[in-house]
Amino acid sequence: MSAIEELIGEFAKLPGIGRKTATRLTYFLLKQPGDAARRLADAVHGIADRVRPCSVCGNLGEVDPCAICADPRRDTSVICVVEEASDIGAIERTGEYRGLYHVLGGHLSPLDGVGPDDLRIEGLRVRLENGTTIREIIVATNPSMEGEVTATYVRGVVERPGVRVTRIALGLPVGGDLEYADSVTIARALAARREMAT
Amino acid sequence: MPPVSTPAVVLHAFPYGETSKIVRLLTLEHGVQSAIAKGARRPNSKFGACLQLLSEGTAQLYLKPTRELQTLAEFDVIVQRPELARDVDRYAAGAALAELVMRFSPAEPHPEIYQLVVAELDHLATVAKEELDAAALGALWGTVCALGFAPNIGVCARDGAELPGGTVAFSVADGGFLCRRCARGTATSKLTASDRQVLERLITGRRAEIGSLSPRHAAAHRRLLARFVERHVADGRELRALDFWQGHS
Repeated sequence: MSAIEELIGEFAKLPGIGRKTATRLTYFLLKQPGDAARRLADAVHGIADRVRPCSVCGNLGEVDPCAICADPRRDTSVICVVEEASDIGAIERTGEYRGLYHVLGGHLSPLDGVGPDDLRIEGLRVRLENGTTIREIIVATNPSMEGEVTATYVRGVVERPGVRVTRIALGLPVGGDLEYADSVTIARALAARREMAT
Repeated sequence: MPPVSTPAVVLHAFPYGETSKIVRLLTLEHGVQSAIAKGARRPNSKFGACLQLLSEGTAQLYLKPTRELQTLAEFDVIVQRPELARDVDRYAAGAALAELVMRFSPAEPHPEIYQLVVAELDHLATVAKEELDAAALGALWGTVCALGFAPNIGVCARDGAELPGGTVAFSVADGGFLCRRCARGTATSKLTASDRQVLERLITGRRAEIGSLSPRHAAAHRRLLARFVERHVADGRELRALDFWQGHS
């Protein structure tokens, strides 16, 4: 197989990239001046060689424990449980959360053969038992059926006296139109309504 | 060609590409169909939160008989059953039911299976926790029977002889109860009179007469059902949701 074909094949394995796009990307790289292709290759090498999951929370980074777990300014009494390491970035961008994280590595999905043993749930239980005093666990799994059942399972594992287990709110997106929201989302938003702050 | 509108249940949904989903739908009028829901994962998608697993609604499908993957134009959800996600055992039973139907339902429309699945999902979502084991077993045995694989419980599955009273042998390989003569030298599960009665009630849809099962009995019945499905219904491929339900509940 030629180098071009090989690269097209590798690109085509990436999510959202078909063979046509893979071909376009390959020829784009070939047309780039200098060592653009080499820099891309180095970057790919870099993530393969240097990035690893944090042994504490499962976040991805170049140091272990990760920068968040090692940060003394973080609130160690709160753990936010997320499905994937990429979810951490989304929460961090809000600038509203200063606690720690725990990455499950997916969600429960019996139809896809993913059970509790395939997720990092045991690691969460160990953190609760061995770590500093945890006051709150925020379950921030996706608002899908699988995310909800995973949240239910996590609650069963972490529930204990003195630990508050909370779930992120589900409902209407900020800036959206009620008129165009689907009935399920509106029903969830109504169910999770709260007193207005005065 | 205009889309067809049909009641449907979402049996499975998984991401496709960056923004779409592929769903497996059990429809009332067109059997089990695979369809692509384009853009379903975009935040402002018209599908919104409707394509959740085990949701029931009205699907608008562009159907082409020559195509394996249809196009889902819309899905108006009617029932979403969030109760199933609030209890892992309920969810496991619902997923196992969805898997059985998705994998083994005939290609042609089968309204009885559709009605059965809808009724069983409703029941699994609302049944009292202590009756959940019997409800799940009843739902799965009912589906096995509706798919045409009902075990033989009236007479000996091998020679048609009358069955003895009391304890009886159930042969997974033969697909039902065996008389004493046929049971000799055959690998069977011995069912006491009460276990036999429970199994008969589960298979004949009289689970309301069962009430709650002890954890030990429920586990034994789950194992029996899983072995029966593996032997008579399955096509050699793994039944992941059924395994999960059997191992977790």
